[in-house]
Amino acid sequence: ATEPKPESLHQPQPARRKPLTAAQKDFLDRALRVNHAGELAATLIYTAQSPPINKAHPHLRPLMKHMYDQEAGHFATFSHLLARHRIRPTAMYPIWSAAATFLGWSTGVMGREAAMACTEAVETEIGEHYNGQVREFLGWVKEMEERGEEVGEELRTLVEDVRRIRDEELEHLDHAVENDAKEANPYELLTGVIRVGCRGAIWVTERV
Amino acid sequence: ALRPLLLRSPQALYHSYEHNEPPPYREPESAILSAALTHVPSHGFTQHALTLGAKDASYLDISANLFPKGVFDLIKYHLVTQRLGLKDRIQFHDENMGVGRKVRSLILERLRANADAGLVGRWQEALAIMSLAENIPPSLRELGLLADEIWFLSGDTAVDTSWYTKRASLSGVYAAAEVYQTTDQSTEFRDTEQFVDRRLEEVRVMGSAVAGTLRFLNFEAGTSVNLLRSKGVRI
Repeated sequence: ATEPKPESLHQPQPARRKPLTAAQKDFLDRALRVNHAGELAATLIYTAQSPPINKAHPHLRPLMKHMYDQEAGHFATFSHLLARHRIRPTAMYPIWSAAATFLGWSTGVMGREAAMACTEAVETEIGEHYNGQVREFLGWVKEMEERGEEVGEELRTLVEDVRRIRDEELEHLDHAVENDAKEANPYELLTGVIRVGCRGAIWVTERV
Repeated sequence: ALRPLLLRSPQALYHSYEHNEPPPYREPESAILSAALTHVPSHGFTQHALTLGAKDASYLDISANLFPKGVFDLIKYHLVTQRLGLKDRIQFHDENMGVGRKVRSLILERLRANADAGLVGRWQEALAIMSLAENIPPSLRELGLLADEIWFLSGDTAVDTSWYTKRASLSGVYAAAEVYQTTDQSTEFRDTEQFVDRRLEEVRVMGSAVAGTLRFLNFEAGTSVNLLRSKGVRI
């Protein structure tokens, strides 16, 4: 009569930690590869934009450095995740490197507004992309909780990392708009081309 | 009931440390194939070895016919289990050991695994079966996965273009060494060890030559741009 009566003794317990499904692994593989390539492109864009922009507008130097440092941190995070979880990096690495350097250089040479418009376009696409990923991961966490499975540190830290990085990218978007991104001269053309380019690059990187 | 072996391996994708993969072969398949491998030294890579394996594992002889690709499934079982067992066969405790030396140790250990299983005398048959048209893609895939496993176990963390070049070159070295090993008559396969050393040295020299050239070209490009900028050209 004095024995404790735990409920779980008489109820079947679901498996605490199941292997990830093939669809989940596929999603993680593609998502992290695209994120890695995206941050690579971002660091190269800022590296190429900085010399002409800083020369013409020295007051932007601290902002450019701040954004570059954050992108370099993101790149390091995703490089570490790719190596740890044995994910294949994109085979388009040298091509994206060349394209990003060219994009950064050309918008940098076009002027401050164009450079900021480029940042705005890229960060808008990236922000939407990260939002989609966070939504997907949170969906998994919810399903796991409903089934009584343990979520685990791996998935939890992944969600937190991607959320933090998404917030920092949206902060860059705000900085770009504050610095007259909308004043760029062929604004619609420039942002349109860059956004379509980003979407195409994301599509290719998911597969290649 | 026994079912066909895994149709699609998710191992090549995201590797989780908390959500563990189920083993690649289920109990009945694993029992029959591991028993069959013990008969290969005396009977070769043949359907007969599979049948003897099925008998050893207390199944009917006809159970061997349930492997759709026959003897190739036996070879693939050996490749998969040896690849996954590589991390248990060798562990590195020396913090100062460089990645190159670890790669060398891992290659030699994997070759030693072929010898320990007694398969070196029959491996030319296996290579012949692997080179049949329908078996080439899965065999190449296993070779690629082995190269990936070796680089991962040696602690390499680069995720740029070298990820591809390293795996390609290591696949080439390992494949050549495995073929060489089948003709090696020296004690403890010392000739094969030296063969591996020569191939790794070639890869190292090629790699550093290419890397040096690229670094040089990169430097020249950057310097020219900076030089023009310092002269006032608006680029």
